[in-house]
Amino acid sequence: MHEKAQDLATAFLAGRIGRRELARRLAGLGLALGSAETLLNAAATRALAADFDWKKHQGTQIKVLLNKHPYADALIADLANFETLTGMEVTYDIFPEDVYFDKVTAALSSHATQYDVFMTGAYQTWQYGPAGWLVDFNEYLKDPTKTAATYNWDDILPNLRASTAWSGKPGAELGGPGAHQWAVPWGFELNNLSYNQTIFDKLKLSPPRNMEELMAVAAKITKDAGGPYGIGVRGSRSWATIHPGFLSAYSNYGQRDFTMANGRLRAAMNTPESKAFHKLWVQMIQESGPKNWATYTWYQVGTDLGAGASGMIYDADILGYFMNGGDNRERGHLAYAPFAANPAAKGPTSNVWIWSLAMSNFSRQKDAGWTFIQWASGTDHLFYGARKSDVVNPVRNSVWQDAEFKERIAKSYPGYLNQYEKTAPDAKIYFTPQPLFFNLTTEWAASLQRMVAREVSVDEGLDKLADSVNRQLHQAGIG
Amino acid sequence: MALHKLLRAAALTLVLLFFLFPIFWIVVMSFQTNEEILRLPPSLVFAPTLANYTALISGHLQTASGILDITFLHNLWNSILLSTCSVLLALVLGVPAAYAFARFRFRLGEDIAFTMLSFRFAPPLLVLLPLSLYFQDLGLNDTYIGLIWIYQLICLPLILWIVRGYFEDASPDIEYAYRIDGHSWWRAFTRIAIPLAGPGIAAAGLLSFIFAWNNFVFALILASADKQPVTVGALAFVTASGIQYGQIAAAIVLSILPTLALALYAQRWLVEGLSLGAVKG
Repeated sequence: MHEKAQDLATAFLAGRIGRRELARRLAGLGLALGSAETLLNAAATRALAADFDWKKHQGTQIKVLLNKHPYADALIADLANFETLTGMEVTYDIFPEDVYFDKVTAALSSHATQYDVFMTGAYQTWQYGPAGWLVDFNEYLKDPTKTAATYNWDDILPNLRASTAWSGKPGAELGGPGAHQWAVPWGFELNNLSYNQTIFDKLKLSPPRNMEELMAVAAKITKDAGGPYGIGVRGSRSWATIHPGFLSAYSNYGQRDFTMANGRLRAAMNTPESKAFHKLWVQMIQESGPKNWATYTWYQVGTDLGAGASGMIYDADILGYFMNGGDNRERGHLAYAPFAANPAAKGPTSNVWIWSLAMSNFSRQKDAGWTFIQWASGTDHLFYGARKSDVVNPVRNSVWQDAEFKERIAKSYPGYLNQYEKTAPDAKIYFTPQPLFFNLTTEWAASLQRMVAREVSVDEGLDKLADSVNRQLHQAGIG
Repeated sequence: MALHKLLRAAALTLVLLFFLFPIFWIVVMSFQTNEEILRLPPSLVFAPTLANYTALISGHLQTASGILDITFLHNLWNSILLSTCSVLLALVLGVPAAYAFARFRFRLGEDIAFTMLSFRFAPPLLVLLPLSLYFQDLGLNDTYIGLIWIYQLICLPLILWIVRGYFEDASPDIEYAYRIDGHSWWRAFTRIAIPLAGPGIAAAGLLSFIFAWNNFVFALILASADKQPVTVGALAFVTASGIQYGQIAAAIVLSILPTLALALYAQRWLVEGLSLGAVKG
């Protein structure tokens, strides 16, 4: 019976039979579809093994540094399949996100050989890559003896591939000529609206489509919803305040953080158009944002939405996704919508956060590390993560096209697929890559705080910010 | 008189409320679900649950994205092990050193004592990055022994400088008299000096224990996840898929228990020890 079940699983993976047919025939063998999941993964593992020498590093032990995140949970749950496929042993260290990057930076800066592979964001590679701490994956991707033919690098969304590659030259285009592939995309976040459907129904509201509507809807919720405030956005003194909704909307008006002239960077935050946008954003927070906005991080924005304390958020779509489940009061009441701040824009321009996998240049077993990375970012594991776990948003186009994944998302997360489809084409990193990213973007957030607190006018605040940024760029020899 | 007593009781209640309310609120939170904690407005009427403590003890945490394995009790054990061993080692090394600095004048004595104190001035990260290179070469990276050694940066200067003050306050004449009776230097140290400075040693030990317990960055940089103390472990409840306030509160309650028990036990020495050296006679 087991062999028959295995044959059925192989036929399903090869596309010769559909899921319903698989379920029907497994039932005939006395197996439930759910219990056949192990069988399917094992069959997928065998299929993978057919075209590439996955056992090349059998017996090797690698160590992975992970951030406590649903993507990491999915990876850990599927690790046994990797170990079966390769004969390698994977140990891992998992740290909370609050301290995760301190751990990574300390490990890399001290040239520690302890970790082979680690999770990173794309922005962090702008510091780690040029310092010589990361392996450039270009040489691995081009080498058929090291990368399986089925890996299908081109299946990973092109903007994400480009956003994790940089030449190291300040201001140079991400993914442009001479770019090093410092990291491999693994899971990412779009920035759109997640809203409380119950509040919207009660007040007969529709999801706003541009900045003007956003401000009006947020004000209406604050005034009439009987407690919840209108719009949750981040506000702490951190680069993370700028990168989600704020930069996505800012970019939608065609605005940039820097301009490049004669190989020199110059602050572009104080153009008349930028000032006009900042005024709208500041006014929106003052009128309809949370009371303690200046302390708001990912956690507070999400918690308020999940607890029904806010009507909507303009932040990561996966934050809204998580708040729609668990023991959140508003679980099952949230919906999602794409958002283009500028009424004249052809569509949303979401800045993205990309959880990626990178390899330490101090690893003593780089080839084995790469074997792990290509499995973790490969179709087999990402299908597993998207279907059975919370790997939203997957970085592969083929996973987004998967009927089972789409069915799962469409069923419980209204509007989620639509916001992805409308936003994905122009979703990428809109920041200009440069080595002072964290300092300058944090200063931008601090400046925004002063404007919201009415300590300084928007015009004056942005002029001062631009002066300070230009001075620092000049001191660093890049402006 | 009655009014005076009444006012005094009211003032005491106010002060107690002010200082104890955050702790009271944390204890209350530890018996609530996340949904009850985040209720608007907050309420003291709720159905108490032990789910948060069960999650910590069983090691399985239910989150928005499924069941998460947590290692809080292991973190708690790490904290107890690291803090206790570090303080014991610091006492063994620090008390004789403090005695030597208090009683004897020797070449570079003050410089050495000040160097020990200066370990407390340096920002930990500045010290840790170069240290991690040495630790790798010495094979001390990711070991309890390495961590206990590095914890001496916290405990040793505290013990040395606090206990030195107590030895200086105790009159050396008592020790001289004891030695004239034919006892050795070592016996004078253990039978006379240490008992006289006992409250100070207890206070210094307790303070170093608290400082070691609250340390965050040493293990984070120098060790793997399985050797992290509660200060790092408690952050595991802050996840991308939400903050588990109930479990954080339960974790706080559990993690203050050892220090609280120790402080209550050592209270009489602590008060005596902290006030003894306050006025130099």
